[in-house]
Amino acid sequence: MIEVDQLVKRFGVVTAVDGLSFTVRPGHVTGFLGPNGAGKTTTMRVILGLDAPTSGTARVNEKSYAGLIRPLHQVGALLDASALHPGRTATAHLASIAQSNGIGRGRVAEMLRLTGLEAVANRRLKGFSLGMKQRLGIAVALLGDPPVLMFDEPVNGLDTEGIAWIRQFMRALAADGRTVLVSSHLMSEMAQTADRLIVIGRGRLIADTTTAQLLESSTRSDVLVRSPRAAELADLIKARGATVKPEEDGGLAVTGLDAPAIGDLAAEHGIAVHALIPRSPSLEEAYLDLTGESTDFRAATP
Amino acid sequence: MTAPVPLAVRARDVLTSEWTKLRSVRSTYWTLLVAVATPIGISALVAVVLSHAPGKQTPVDPLLPGLISQEYAVLAVGVLGVLAFSTEYGTGLIRTTFAAVPRRRAVLAAKAAVIGALTLVAGEVVAFASFALVQAVLSGKHLGVSLSHPGVPGAVLAGGLLLFVVATMGVGLGSIVRHTAGGIAALVGLIFLPAILGVLPAPWGARIARFTLLDAARQVTALHPATDLFAPAASLLVMLAWPALTLLAAAFLITRRDA
Repeated sequence: MIEVDQLVKRFGVVTAVDGLSFTVRPGHVTGFLGPNGAGKTTTMRVILGLDAPTSGTARVNEKSYAGLIRPLHQVGALLDASALHPGRTATAHLASIAQSNGIGRGRVAEMLRLTGLEAVANRRLKGFSLGMKQRLGIAVALLGDPPVLMFDEPVNGLDTEGIAWIRQFMRALAADGRTVLVSSHLMSEMAQTADRLIVIGRGRLIADTTTAQLLESSTRSDVLVRSPRAAELADLIKARGATVKPEEDGGLAVTGLDAPAIGDLAAEHGIAVHALIPRSPSLEEAYLDLTGESTDFRAATP
Repeated sequence: MTAPVPLAVRARDVLTSEWTKLRSVRSTYWTLLVAVATPIGISALVAVVLSHAPGKQTPVDPLLPGLISQEYAVLAVGVLGVLAFSTEYGTGLIRTTFAAVPRRRAVLAAKAAVIGALTLVAGEVVAFASFALVQAVLSGKHLGVSLSHPGVPGAVLAGGLLLFVVATMGVGLGSIVRHTAGGIAALVGLIFLPAILGVLPAPWGARIARFTLLDAARQVTALHPATDLFAPAASLLVMLAWPALTLLAAAFLITRRDA
């Protein structure tokens, strides 16, 4: 379990994290979402005791990170897969980290096998692709078999195969009863992996919800109606207090009345309906609605 | 809950980890090779020059050529020391290190210990090898001193500390400056800049020089120490104070800054 309480982190005049509170529970993959610069990485660094909070607290398994003995047995983290000494081999890299927490050679070999790096175990890291470095970073995170795992943008720069591997891996870890927190700036990515979402923008909490709830709460759902007597039907729907927006191809976008009600209404008046399609927004759209206000830098619309 | 881990076990874990890091990169071997080969090579050169020198022309002090040759290794071991932290800060690996060992001073102590041990051995090898080379030539001219001469073993041993002193100072500076080039610049500044002030007119030159690292090292090594500087015992303290103060400053800062 990860508990962040009233966390504030300032760097000079810049406030990176601004009164953030949330709890990450075991058994789920929790997505940590926000635009670039929202404060995700800073929050993770504070949780790991790397950055000192200006105020507030971050606790892991009910303890502050700095007080943990052999912390790799409690928390595994992948912050930056490229943070390696290029001249070291994969085995030496893993072994040096394992030794600092009293973890043996056998576990190092096991992690190399698990992440598919056995064949390159004795190659220097400068020759590793980003995908291989990500795998090595995951091997480091899993060294101590920890109940809590944190991954910062783990799919950045990965190919399709690598992304699928990481997704499946994270879900398996959560199914194991572990606490898994994964940050991303891409909603579409989280939609496929996370069942809970913590959305932040400009260092503040925007939403702490499930993926399903986020979709429902969006204001963008509507019903697409097609009918040979569209104009007539539109008037009837409007009379019921709903909003109708004609689409370019003659369809009607209806909000405020659900599909069964529209169907019944049309039947009452003997109007044929050719299509009646409830449409939900993509998670991407729901996410943009949430974070639209809180993006630091936005491209102007041309 | 896991059983509490004794402090000694945790200390051994961090030392083992840092030792693995040190011996798994090539820069360690290169800098050590330079640090050992250069002074021994220079001592051999000095021996050759001395053996061809006419008559009774001798160095001022029979033990100084050995130490001066070590001064050529100062930069190499200094780089070795600085790199211990600066490469980790440069790559971001330091965050993995500190996440694995949140007690940052333990990491500082372990890095200083493994690099200190390695450069201590290297320094003593160089000191005794240089001594042997130079004295072999000087004794042919009946000008040398033997290891059995009173004060000589201690002087050679103390001179061999120079590389250890510089390397551990480098560890501290790497941790403070967090940048390879900056750390090396700071090290060069601390070692060589004060020495320039030694040329000031008497008595100021010597008053400053006795606190400089290189003059202190010469005092502890010389068979006939200079009279206007600190005595060898006090000079040894000056020599050890440089890395001690650097590491203290590093220990103070390491827990107060974000990684």
